[in-house]
Amino acid sequence: MIDITGIKKTYPASGLILDDIHLHIDPGEFVSIVGQSGAGKTTLVRLLIAEEKPSAGRIAIGGWDISNLAPSEVPYLRRQIGVIFQDFKLLPKKTVFENVAFALEVAGERRLRIRAVVPQVLGIVGLQDKRNHYPAELSGGEQQRVVIARSLVHRPKVIIADEPTGNLDTINAAEVIEIFKKINEFGTTILLVTHNRDVVNQLRRRVITIERGRLISDEKHGKYVL
Amino acid sequence: MSGLIRIISYALQDIGRNAGLSAMTVFMLVLMLLSLNVVWTVNQLAGESIALVKKEVRLSVFLAPDIADRSIDELENYLRSFPEVISVSRLNRDQALAEFKARYAGRGEVLSALNELTENPFGPIFMVAARDPADYQRLISALALPEYDRFIEGTSFEAHAGALERLGVIIRRVTEGGIILLGLFSLIAFLIIFNTVRVAISTQRAEISIKRLVGAGSWFIRGPYLVAAVLFAVVSVALTITLVLITLRYVDPYLRGVFTNGFSLTNYYRSHILVIIGGQLLAVLVLTVLSSGLAMRRQLRV
Repeated sequence: MIDITGIKKTYPASGLILDDIHLHIDPGEFVSIVGQSGAGKTTLVRLLIAEEKPSAGRIAIGGWDISNLAPSEVPYLRRQIGVIFQDFKLLPKKTVFENVAFALEVAGERRLRIRAVVPQVLGIVGLQDKRNHYPAELSGGEQQRVVIARSLVHRPKVIIADEPTGNLDTINAAEVIEIFKKINEFGTTILLVTHNRDVVNQLRRRVITIERGRLISDEKHGKYVL
Repeated sequence: MSGLIRIISYALQDIGRNAGLSAMTVFMLVLMLLSLNVVWTVNQLAGESIALVKKEVRLSVFLAPDIADRSIDELENYLRSFPEVISVSRLNRDQALAEFKARYAGRGEVLSALNELTENPFGPIFMVAARDPADYQRLISALALPEYDRFIEGTSFEAHAGALERLGVIIRRVTEGGIILLGLFSLIAFLIIFNTVRVAISTQRAEISIKRLVGAGSWFIRGPYLVAAVLFAVVSVALTITLVLITLRYVDPYLRGVFTNGFSLTNYYRSHILVIIGGQLLAVLVLTVLSSGLAMRRQLRV
């Protein structure tokens, strides 16, 4: 599903952030990427969503080489990857329904399809009853679930979540992780970038550890060990 | 099609969110267009004024008092032979004297000097009308033949030429002033539109980043700003044309007293309305789209 070969990323001011990363992720896997702050995890995420280009190496998602993607192709990549960040990124003046529908509107989907798909994904994340609420009326966990629903509308093959539980309490964090597990059961590849030791250890899934820009461990049923 | 409707809807939302700034933008565009219309109107009025004055200009050919009738006829035929000449009218000696007295009716010292003379000092006068004031100089040169030397005492045209030239200079200065004003308003409008789009992008940074995150294409992100620019252009042109037509209804009655040939600005505008609207819309569209495009280029990394 995801092939990362010899990836390096250098910034002029900061120097080498990622150094010779080799990684292969199969379809349907649930992978946690862990590491200290500044290890390069978020940089890796930015490379995967073509927010940045690698200084060297190759990244392929579903066989599509995205290492040197043209700006006009980036939107199409983003529609195939669900992206979830720590800071929710919801539109405050749109309802839950409208926030999720937004992802379909930008892709030019018809109203009929939007009206069919949005309730389905809201059902997956358990927010059917909150469709007419505004983000400010929701808890942190509910807001993150809206973001997950939005990321699901295009039926992505991959969901990349960068610290999705960072702003949540334990209970909400657990709910969000359960949703990810449910989505994974449907066959979607999940890449979870996290600091949360408890989450990683409870998942007992593949754990990749990055330290100072280098991949230092890759365990099938790993634990958060730093 | 639904994508375009959505983009128009987002544009209207943006305009509504920045209502004050949008109103200021339209206001500046209307000012710019009004100054354009003023320049154009002054140009039209100038053209009509000059044409009117040109029609009134005449070349006066003063003949010797003792010229024979046969020579007068010969000279008149000679003048009529020129294609530039529209008409030649003749004042006999008595009519020339009467015309002189009428012109200097308020000047007692001139008339009393005239009364000292025992006989009419004036000869017949030809009043020649040509197609263009530029033709008069040619006619004057054509009359400077040795055989007519003793018949023609003088010609009078220089005063009119001077007046026409002064009128032309005044009109040119007014037009130049109008163009400077137009340029100033255009620059201000350009900067205001630039700032409006810049502020809109700045206040919508979060929304724009979400659009990019969920896979919005470049057109979906830029489109609303371009549509807003087009809407500003259309509204400002519509407002301006309305204001101009209303103003002309009040101005035209005053102009009728000056332009006795029946010239009407309202009728002129109406008969050229498509060109006027089209030209102004094109000018404003270029301004608004260029300005928005520049603002987006600097503010959006799409």
